[in-house]
Amino acid sequence: MELLAQLAPKTFWNAQNGSGELFIKIILGLLVSTGIVVALFKTPNQLRRWVITAVTFFSGLFYVLFWIYPTPINRQPDEAPRNVLEGFSFWLSDAQPVVADLTNIIAAFLIGLGIYSLLRVHLGRIGKQQRDWQFSVVLIAGMVIMVIFGYVDWYMRLDPANAKMAGSGYVGWTFWQFGRDLLFNGLLQNMDAGMFSIVAFYILSAAYRAFRARSVEATILLVTALIVMLSLMGLIEYFWAQGVDGMHLSNNFKLDNVARWLRANVQTPAIRGIDFGVGIGLLSMGVRLWLNLEKTGGSN
Amino acid sequence: MAITDPAANKSLGEKLQSVPKPVLYLVLFMLAAIPLFFPVKLPNKPIDASVEMFTNVMALPEGSTVLVESDWTNSTRGESMGEMEALLRILMRKKVKFVVYTIADPQAPQVSRDTIRKIADEEAKAGRYRYKPFEDYLVLGYYPNGEGTASAINNKFVSIVSGKKDWPENSAPRDVSLSPVLKGIKSVADFKYLIVVTASSTTNTVLERITKVPMMFMVTGVMVPETTTYYASGQIKGFCGGVKGVYDLETLMENGLNVEGPNKIVSEKSTEVIPGFPGMQNTGKGMAYYPSLHFALFLLILAVVTGNVGMFLAKRKGA
Amino acid sequence: MSYNHELVSLSVGAIATIGLYTILYRENKFYRFFEHLFLGLASGWALVALWTETLKVMWWDKMLGSAAADGNQAAMGYWPYVMLLPVGLLGYTVFSKKHNWLSRIPIGIILGFYSGQQFNAWTNRYIPQISGSMKSIIPTAGFFKPDPNTLNPALGPVKGDLYGSEALNNLIFVLTILCVLSYFLFSFDVKSKVIKNASLAGRWLLMIGFGAIFGTTVMMRFSLLIDRMYFIWIEFIKQGILHIK
Repeated sequence: MELLAQLAPKTFWNAQNGSGELFIKIILGLLVSTGIVVALFKTPNQLRRWVITAVTFFSGLFYVLFWIYPTPINRQPDEAPRNVLEGFSFWLSDAQPVVADLTNIIAAFLIGLGIYSLLRVHLGRIGKQQRDWQFSVVLIAGMVIMVIFGYVDWYMRLDPANAKMAGSGYVGWTFWQFGRDLLFNGLLQNMDAGMFSIVAFYILSAAYRAFRARSVEATILLVTALIVMLSLMGLIEYFWAQGVDGMHLSNNFKLDNVARWLRANVQTPAIRGIDFGVGIGLLSMGVRLWLNLEKTGGSN
Repeated sequence: MAITDPAANKSLGEKLQSVPKPVLYLVLFMLAAIPLFFPVKLPNKPIDASVEMFTNVMALPEGSTVLVESDWTNSTRGESMGEMEALLRILMRKKVKFVVYTIADPQAPQVSRDTIRKIADEEAKAGRYRYKPFEDYLVLGYYPNGEGTASAINNKFVSIVSGKKDWPENSAPRDVSLSPVLKGIKSVADFKYLIVVTASSTTNTVLERITKVPMMFMVTGVMVPETTTYYASGQIKGFCGGVKGVYDLETLMENGLNVEGPNKIVSEKSTEVIPGFPGMQNTGKGMAYYPSLHFALFLLILAVVTGNVGMFLAKRKGA
Repeated sequence: MSYNHELVSLSVGAIATIGLYTILYRENKFYRFFEHLFLGLASGWALVALWTETLKVMWWDKMLGSAAADGNQAAMGYWPYVMLLPVGLLGYTVFSKKHNWLSRIPIGIILGFYSGQQFNAWTNRYIPQISGSMKSIIPTAGFFKPDPNTLNPALGPVKGDLYGSEALNNLIFVLTILCVLSYFLFSFDVKSKVIKNASLAGRWLLMIGFGAIFGTTVMMRFSLLIDRMYFIWIEFIKQGILHIK
């Protein structure tokens, strides 16, 4: 951790915080990247697929090389590579966290896509006064209020004078902290839990109406589910064990032993078999995506 | 011509298959709520995976550090919060430092901060040491690209903490690299364990990319069968699954392992005696929810059996 | 009258939860109101966390660096981070009819990284499971394995051999996994009677796995409901309103 505490050495890729050099480089970098993006807008149709293929392939190539290329063992912080091959391995190792950072940042920008899409739909509904547009007002109002309280609260907490707010007991809390807490803990968290819990009623109703032993497969599924659910109940396990407690051989028929045997010798290999199939599917999909072999619809 | 009531012509089998939905919902509602008013310690035999997790966490030396991935929010509070609370109680009592990060949900860091603070206050109220943010634990925050972050953790842990800040008590945010929690931590291998508390498939993300540190999972009920396969192959060193798993941990914290007494829990893998924490607050959501779970599961079993009995009776009448 | 924040917070949470539960009766305006409110708050929070938890720390602060303050070291600013802004914003061209192909570039970058990781991910996840599935099925000792807790110490410790009962369990394990895998042979026509019967057995054995998944899923869903009941009846009514600890 001592490395992080030291100021990194000055290179072409960095500059001191607040310096004119940094701002000029940022502006130039922005202009260069914007120029590249503008050039991409002008890409002829026949080259578009190749641009995407190249981007996807070289992105994936990094991690493929990261996987197959020998990794440095017991590398010391100031150690220099002995040759080009080792230098490449050092570069891969050093670049991986930067690549993870880049992916984090691009993924974060793309999360805004969902929010933008939501806003487009609901603002459109309000503008055209479509059916139930009032609920869209509730949605937008909720979003705006949460954003305002969230940001103001976060900004206030950055001030060293407000450090006590982070502790317990509402010390130093103002209207903004109470508001954010009410919206986040009082409303959002409870509604989140409430939404998920509704499924319990539907599971009960569906199990009652549809879970029938109409075939061999359904009967096996039913019996196994019953055994598993009984084994989750400690009280049932206890009374069952009282009933079979006796000679050592009959101990094998205690509910927890029956459930454990099923779990270890039948359930685990069955689920493992499904997992293997899923894994092979994921691997083949990964290869197809990497080599852009997937034929997608829409314009190119 | 007399009008016949269609319900009166229903056979017993058909009646058994047509209990109205509102009745089912109301009964479930009552069975889930009423036992909460009568908290009682039910007998329980922890499963092997919970016992192994308990053994491993209790064996952590004082002053060591674990990495905790907290990927749950209040949507799965029923299970995940109980798991997190049980884990935090053990870590705080063993004076083990921990670093928390998230890859699944932007709400998760705040939820984990609140839970840590709650358990720290509980320990302080009981007269024990109060865990302080930045001094004893760190919350690194949310990382949106889980796959890349997990690979970076395995490859170069220091890179994911670079630039991150956390709040010490009554102080402005500070660079986490200056925290005593990360003293001596140069790579993920310097952590004793990576413990993943999750309600989603981030266990797969972590398992596929992090290989340098032993792992344990704390998962919701729906993920228990899949997690069992990882435990069976030795890829994880124990796991805690669902409310049953939470109650397993609480039972072990209360009674210990291989400790002589009326509630002795015996380990099949080792005879080592692990005392647990007698006389301390060990029970929480596990004990509170376990009786209600019994009644709810019993209702489901009864509903399924009733439906099937009704089906057989109706078939016999029709045959 | 002083403001009791905890009670107010519990109250709004309880009202919101009950409002959502009205869907169990039928679709109604209370449910729609709280559903939309939930979506609005969740997306608002996602926007807040996006900046405060991610972009500010990983992108903005790294791009601009920082001066030494409040005990924190100074940090250099790395200007290339600014080039990610136009690349990230390319994703928004998905809404343009003419230029929506450009949105595939940032998606291609992320998918490329993800698919490149799949090789390593696959080996880390499945190789231990494949090796763990290769169990020995030939016993080297008697059939019954002695229980170490009740074994007479005079007989000595349990030997490290494979007992017959364990070998039988291993055989069941191996047969189960082979039968389940044989069920997924969809790419070609299976004529062999052995494989057909194995496939049928695999289907039955899969039902055991699904039964276990159903049982534990039910536990999870009921736990969520019980937790909401705890919140309403214990935290809100008993402790919040009636002040009974």
